[in-house]
Amino acid sequence: MIVAERKPLSEIKQYVEKYKKILIAGCGTCTTVCLAGGEKEVGVVAAALRIAFLKEDREVEIIEDCITRQCEPEFVEPIAEKVRDGGIEAVLSLGCGVGVNFLSERLDSVLVFPGVNTKFFGAAVEPGVWVEMCAGCGNCILDVTGGICPIARCSKSILNGPCGGSQDGKCEISPDVDCGWHLIVSRMQKMGTLERLSEFVPPRDWSTSRAGGPRRVIHEGMRSQNEGSEEVT
Amino acid sequence: MKSGSKLEQLIAAGHFVLTSELGPPMDCNGEVVLEKARLLKGCADAFNITDNQTGVVRLSSIAAAELIMREGLEPVMQMTCRDRNRLAIQSDLLGAAALGIKNCLCIAGDHQSFGAVGRLKGHPGAKNVYDVDSIQLVAILKGLRDDGVQQGGDPLEKRPALYIGAAWTPLGDPVEFRPFRLKKKVDAGADFIQTQGVYDVELFRQQMKIAVDMGLHERTAILAGIIVPKNLGMLKYMNSSVAGVSVPETLMKRMEQARLAAGDDKKQASKNQAEEGIRITVELIQKVQEIPGVRGVHIQAIEWEHKVPEIVKRAGLYPRPIITEKGENNASESENSCG
Amino acid sequence: MSQQNGESTVIAPCTVGCPVHTDNRQLVDYIIHGEYEKALRLLLDANPFSSVCGRICHHPCEQNCRRSKVEAPIGLRRLKRFVIEATKEHRLAYSKARQVPPGEMERVAIVGSGPSGMTAARDLVSMGYPVTVFERSENPGGLLGNVIPRYRLPYEAVKEDIDDILSLGVKLVTGMEIGRDITIENLFREGHSAVLLATGLSESRTLNVPGIDSEGVMLALPFLQTVLSPIPPVLGKRVAILGGGNVAIDVARSARRLGAEKVTIICLESPEEIPAWKWEVEEAHDEGISIMHSRGPRKVFTDNGHIKALELKRCTSVFDSDGRFNPQYDEMDTATLLADNAIIAIGQRGDLTSLNGSDVQTAPGGRLRCDPKTQATSRQGVFACGEVLTGAGSAVEAVRDGHRAARAIVHYLETGDLIEQPYDDPQALGELPDETVEKIVKRHPLVLDLVKPELRIKDFVEIERGFSEAEALNEAKRCLACTTGAFADEEKCAACLTCVRICPFGVATIEKTAVMPQEKCQACGLCATQCPAAAIALKRFGTTQMRDELRSAMESQNTELMAKPLIVSYCCLFEVTSRNWVSETTVNCLESGIVRVMIPCVARLGVLDILSPFEMGADGVVIIGCSSGDCLYPTAEQRLENTVREARGVLGEIGLEEEVIDYWRTEGSAEVSWSSFWEISRRKLKLMKDNEGERANDSSRAKTTV
Ligand SMILES: Cc1cc2nc3c(=O)[nH]c(=O)nc-3n(C[C@H](O)[C@H](O)[C@H](O)COP(=O)(O)OP(=O)(O)OC[C@H]3O[C@@H](n4cnc5c(N)ncnc54)[C@H](O)[C@@H]3O)c2cc1C
Ligand code: SF4
Repeated sequence: MIVAERKPLSEIKQYVEKYKKILIAGCGTCTTVCLAGGEKEVGVVAAALRIAFLKEDREVEIIEDCITRQCEPEFVEPIAEKVRDGGIEAVLSLGCGVGVNFLSERLDSVLVFPGVNTKFFGAAVEPGVWVEMCAGCGNCILDVTGGICPIARCSKSILNGPCGGSQDGKCEISPDVDCGWHLIVSRMQKMGTLERLSEFVPPRDWSTSRAGGPRRVIHEGMRSQNEGSEEVT
Repeated sequence: MKSGSKLEQLIAAGHFVLTSELGPPMDCNGEVVLEKARLLKGCADAFNITDNQTGVVRLSSIAAAELIMREGLEPVMQMTCRDRNRLAIQSDLLGAAALGIKNCLCIAGDHQSFGAVGRLKGHPGAKNVYDVDSIQLVAILKGLRDDGVQQGGDPLEKRPALYIGAAWTPLGDPVEFRPFRLKKKVDAGADFIQTQGVYDVELFRQQMKIAVDMGLHERTAILAGIIVPKNLGMLKYMNSSVAGVSVPETLMKRMEQARLAAGDDKKQASKNQAEEGIRITVELIQKVQEIPGVRGVHIQAIEWEHKVPEIVKRAGLYPRPIITEKGENNASESENSCG
Repeated sequence: MSQQNGESTVIAPCTVGCPVHTDNRQLVDYIIHGEYEKALRLLLDANPFSSVCGRICHHPCEQNCRRSKVEAPIGLRRLKRFVIEATKEHRLAYSKARQVPPGEMERVAIVGSGPSGMTAARDLVSMGYPVTVFERSENPGGLLGNVIPRYRLPYEAVKEDIDDILSLGVKLVTGMEIGRDITIENLFREGHSAVLLATGLSESRTLNVPGIDSEGVMLALPFLQTVLSPIPPVLGKRVAILGGGNVAIDVARSARRLGAEKVTIICLESPEEIPAWKWEVEEAHDEGISIMHSRGPRKVFTDNGHIKALELKRCTSVFDSDGRFNPQYDEMDTATLLADNAIIAIGQRGDLTSLNGSDVQTAPGGRLRCDPKTQATSRQGVFACGEVLTGAGSAVEAVRDGHRAARAIVHYLETGDLIEQPYDDPQALGELPDETVEKIVKRHPLVLDLVKPELRIKDFVEIERGFSEAEALNEAKRCLACTTGAFADEEKCAACLTCVRICPFGVATIEKTAVMPQEKCQACGLCATQCPAAAIALKRFGTTQMRDELRSAMESQNTELMAKPLIVSYCCLFEVTSRNWVSETTVNCLESGIVRVMIPCVARLGVLDILSPFEMGADGVVIIGCSSGDCLYPTAEQRLENTVREARGVLGEIGLEEEVIDYWRTEGSAEVSWSSFWEISRRKLKLMKDNEGERANDSSRAKTTV
């Protein structure tokens, strides 16, 4: 899941304080689950802004909404329409950065502000704690590393680790950060496949990652279906 | 000879080699480098020039290496993976070779977050690169030198003759895996190894035994790292905070006694500790020398370089051998005066 | 399965257990909220004999209560009694409000003014049917009014219920015995379209042993009747009671109160088999009454025609292998018990005088012929209900039968047909799973002491007292609020697991989306508070209720006119020990500037609830929770602390002072400590406001001087 964290309200307030009518749009998927931008949080942000504006004697109309996912046209279009038709001057999206982008593309003259900081792809390791586990590098190598990602979970993303900085299972950068390579080694050891780590992993092809430029995924089946139906009409 | 460096030659000739470290300044004052070079000349066979050590911006290792060559010292240029992608790294390696640099230590480099320590702000917000890791770097360098190909596959005409070094943290966690990682480095092409500072000789001996059993000591030259302790505080810090370093209780006791012996006299206390630190260093050098497979030592006197000559002398490693034209060597004080 | 979109198809077992299905859960909820009038109306609608049942009901509700598995059931009977006692005036008003002017509808005659007959009368009259009740004795109420001893059931209680029914317009004719003074057929001729026989079981059964008709031997019902009469019976020192049921106990305890020194109950059953309620047996024991088990009468020894002693034989077994009553005796094992009196309490049977001169047929054995499903007799238009139909039972069962009879008669009068009304109980919520029981904080019920035995045997004064308000409120909060817990909206639920992680009772699980099995849910509402998708609702005190109540509280007053600083105080409902105190302080809010919102557990407050008051113009929020460690819900206090911290953080982020939110823990009770909390918070907020004002002044002054 994408993990995000709500931005400080002082920052959010700065974005929107020039406007008279704003929409706060929550997302019912990832940011709901990581407690950063679901319907409940939309309510909290809206209330906080109202209180702040009240204190400054300013009248701002705040509209709250939360859609299933901000990354699908079918879900986003109605809200974009609402913005266009409703005279809304600014949108605060509590979806991840994808939501902000997606809404922005649909709103020519309305600014869309990010209400959360989109952090990473991660898992909830305990209630209320999420940890990054995948870097979305585009060419998964987890087969080599016992299912634990060195790119996301090693501070140096090294492929022939661990570096000399691993101590008591923790990374040299902080005792709060698990050493990804320590995890890999102990896991491979447990599974009796440690010797696989003796194999040299050559420099990797990062072109599938962000380094290769903006990426896209095409599901041909889904796509041709659409094209097919277009042909019929 | 792979590189023809002095270090390579001495190792090849079976000498117990000695390297030391020289840290460049945080500005462009090359004179500082030259001064340190003069101070250390003759005290070691080659001198590691650190590469933005602990994530702090310093005069570049390639330039500093070139500077000390002017004073007749042989540099071991350090190259980290933190700040350059594979293009920059290869281009710097080619440049270094063109300048006559003959040794290169390939390391990952401390994380940039380490730069913010004490009074220093560093650049913890920098984007790190780590396009390749240290083992991959060793392999790339070997490829350039021995196969004449760049990592991407393009051929080279003139190949960089660099003696390839790598670091090893024998006592780092997970300890069981450390010998394997050493082997990976050796397999990738590491000609010599400089280890993380050793205090716990016993544990180090055990790790070395494994390495020897794996035959690694014959395929590479392992130089034991010795970090000179200045005082009790430093030992404690190393023990608790530096990954892969464990300091035995007895050493800390000795240091403590040295301090206590001075009573309330602070100056005397630090003097006592400095003396004890040097004594410990000398003992460590002598002990690791006896461990099978250890082919030399790498002395790091961090911000304390001027003590190196004394240490080297007291450890009985002075004078250093010299290389005659024929490649023979013998010790001579006149040519290589130290300190 | 048992829950869909929050629509529960099962109901709380306390309600299922109650023969008239009183919504006990709702009743308790009303009590918790101090809504005693609503509670009363709920009670009376289900059971017109609520004053009576509040005292003598054998309370199957409690026996079914799911809390029994934790430590003990909720004291529902006494809570009902409390409601009745707390709303006397309202009851009169409510009766008045319910009066239906008699229309041009068919007239109904009811024979017998016991609970079954009077309940049917009330139901019918409420629907506009003119009803006349004929009662042969002078006192209405059946066994309740004429037999059950007053130390358990004071006549005032019976009278309250009867008067209530009569005030609706039921006509009562006492001293008129149907079948003797006038026949059923006459009733039809006089213009009644239907007749309901609710004549009960008014005759005691007797025994067939030698000497049983000697002087000093009595039957239970006549004995109890005379106990209530102005001239009570005179008894000797030693009284033996034959029989092991509740009637026998009533007889024994009455005998003790009449001065008998040695009262012995002789019953066929062993201690485990004795049919009387356990608590009755215990109370009798405390009053010095002894019970001889496994003995039956063989013979009455007489002296001059007066009983002298009883010869008893051993009863070897009471029931046969099919569980039927079929006592076996060992005639060789006998004992003698000296007795000046013997009272036979072995059961009642119907007195069918009422049928004299009518076409209503009897069944073999001298019983009324009547179909229990339609309640119709063999004579068209004549119905029967209550014990005469069902056999001996309890008052509340008689009430149920009265309701049924009213429906049967209405159907008959409207359609001319009979209607079958099987006794189908709704499905009850399953029992508490063991793993949930473990997680529930134990709270033992308050055990009220009865009048001390040595005092209570001196007279017939009622021995039990009702709950005080504080006691009732304290007892009410033990209710697990069965079936009113959380449910998730599948559409909104993101399966984020927050509820699963939050729930202190381990209730929520994720099956594609969140599900909260009702069997486990305690309706604490913590999950709903934390649900980031706002997908969880609660049936009891719904999730938006806090905001709704806040809004209505704020809107009901002109906030401009209210004293400043204006404080919204969210308070734990469970800590209040009197409703008056609540309403008084509410009225004062104009002057005090404190608007209170009562919540069953303030841990239900979410960040938004804490922020909302500021949107509405409040200067501060004061949250008052229960005393530390007293919360019904594990982890709730910790959750609330986190929520408060979060809310303060939000205010901080928008540049407001975090101290405008206070969180107090009740000390003692609401009455004892809340006022001082409000005062401390009020002063602090006032100081903050004043300082702020000064700062504003300073800066404007600074501007002008520049
Ligand atoms: C000693 C005793 C203790 C009890 N204790 C409890 C208890 O603690 N809790 C509990 O729930 N239940 C108790 N009961 C049971 C309860 O009293 C009965 O279940 C209930 O009263 C039955 O109601 P009913 O309307 O069917 O008949 P009844 O209450 O018997 O009423 C019948 C009425 O019809 C009248 N009647 C009969 N024939 C005629 C006629 N021909 N003409 C005019 N009027 C007539 C009678 O006078 C009587 O008033 C007790 C019963 C007894 C005997
Ligand atoms: S806990 Fe409450 S709702 Fe549940 S059975 Fe008992 S009284 Fe009824």
